[in-house]
Amino acid sequence: MTGSHSIVPDTDAAPKCPFHSPESVFEGSTPLVPSEALGALRDEAAAVPFLYSDAHQGWLVTRHSLGRAVLEDPRFSMYPRRMPLGPSGGHPLDIDDRAIHSVHDADLLSLDEPQHGKLRRTVLGRFSVRAVRGYQEAVQEIVRSQLVHLLEVGSPADLAAEFAQPISARTHCFVLGVPDDQVQKFISLFVDKSTSQQKWDFVREVIELRRDNLGDDVISDLLGSELTPTEIEGVLFVLMVSGRDSVAYMITTGTHILLSHPDQAALLRDDPALIQAAIEEFMRYGTMFVTLFPRTALEDVELENVLIRKGETVSVSPVAANRDERRFEDPDVFDVTRDSFGHLAFGHGQHGCVGQQLARLEIRTALGAILAEIPSLSLIEAEQSRPLPWASDLPTYEAGSLVVEWNAA
Amino acid sequence: MQITVNTPACVGAGQCVMAAGELFDQDDDGIVMLLEDSPDAAQQAGARRAASLCPARAIKIAE
Ligand code: HEM
Ligand code: SF4
Repeated sequence: MTGSHSIVPDTDAAPKCPFHSPESVFEGSTPLVPSEALGALRDEAAAVPFLYSDAHQGWLVTRHSLGRAVLEDPRFSMYPRRMPLGPSGGHPLDIDDRAIHSVHDADLLSLDEPQHGKLRRTVLGRFSVRAVRGYQEAVQEIVRSQLVHLLEVGSPADLAAEFAQPISARTHCFVLGVPDDQVQKFISLFVDKSTSQQKWDFVREVIELRRDNLGDDVISDLLGSELTPTEIEGVLFVLMVSGRDSVAYMITTGTHILLSHPDQAALLRDDPALIQAAIEEFMRYGTMFVTLFPRTALEDVELENVLIRKGETVSVSPVAANRDERRFEDPDVFDVTRDSFGHLAFGHGQHGCVGQQLARLEIRTALGAILAEIPSLSLIEAEQSRPLPWASDLPTYEAGSLVVEWNAA
Repeated sequence: MQITVNTPACVGAGQCVMAAGELFDQDDDGIVMLLEDSPDAAQQAGARRAASLCPARAIKIAE
């Protein structure tokens, strides 16, 4: 027998689908340890062919520089909405017509200019660096009271449920202007489970409660703006569902990172001023968005030698971009002293996170309190160490529970 | 060095204020305000950093 009739298939010639599916790329990924597949694709190219769940073809952007370029480029549209893990284009069917109208008019992350910018500008002023400085005391008080609560619950406890989730929910209500006596209802609807329609009903109830009782908050600004009633309800809905879970995720994941990097925790404890800049490293290393909302090319776009044809959809991966060695040296090392600015954890460009300064304040205050007040904190079990189901049709990580223990003082 | 800002392009994410708070602020609507258009030598690195981080490319620097 000669080798010329080998029955072993010639792997080079075997047909292989060039498109990567979301399942194959993201499977097994966890917040602290992104999937190996994602890293391998980043080594392969800045963007790889990507197949959406409705068989639509597009690209997954894995490298930082191309990700940034895509997010800054006005030749991409947020429409039609096409999720990597779910059906395309459809609005939720379980909501009333008025809510469908609001989604259509005011869902920031599926709108382009000029409508998107018009809505965004009505709320920006409440989220600027200066405005957020004004929330500092209130956030400190919320964090302090949740710390007292955590200590009362006693060791061991789930830090996500007793500390992270309530901090983000209470701060969210405070900044938006949800009345104090509605905060528990907000938590039961938006943190625990509820239907979309129940959330829309709550948005309308809160607007009615506040209409004759304006103050210094987002809802008052919306009610005093030129926006139509459906736009006001739509923007408020977006703000109520956005970022609250992300802040809770980041406080939970940030604590998980601290407990698994005691040397870095010690650096922050020795020099509390370091935390200000270190928040960017927590954001980079513990990035929540595996991909951003997809963008679709309105014309042929060539960026960094990648040709994205008109109609093709692009998903930028902040998780991959933030661990791109071309941008961040030794990217898999968590180092609170590095310069991590420029990461894509809050997105980038026109749709970059509205609430990012508020999020930084909450995370910094919460992690600072944990470092200073419970030095003996240690990890029993982080649910996010194993892959959890995706939070939605967009692959983003869930906080999961974080069971910790400490020595009572 | 001369700094100019394109306020209609600004998306208000505050990267410039974080990078160089002595040169940039945000107005009541969250839009960038230039506090100083000719930074001194010590401020120029901050100005360049702000321009590079700005997600809207709304900050231009003429050396
Ligand atoms: C650690 C916490 C947070 C993270 C990681 C985060 C992440 C993000 C990301 C990645 C985007 C862009 C999505 C894309 O371009 O596809 C975004 C947009 C947005 N975020 Fe956040 N966010 C956080 C906290 C907040 C908070 C506290 C709020 C406050 C209400 C908020 C409100 C928004 C809104 C309204 C948008 C849409 C912006 C637009 O389309 O113009 N986020 N966020
Ligand atoms: S960084 Fe750019 S977009 Fe952000 S506030 Fe400053 S000028 Fe505006």
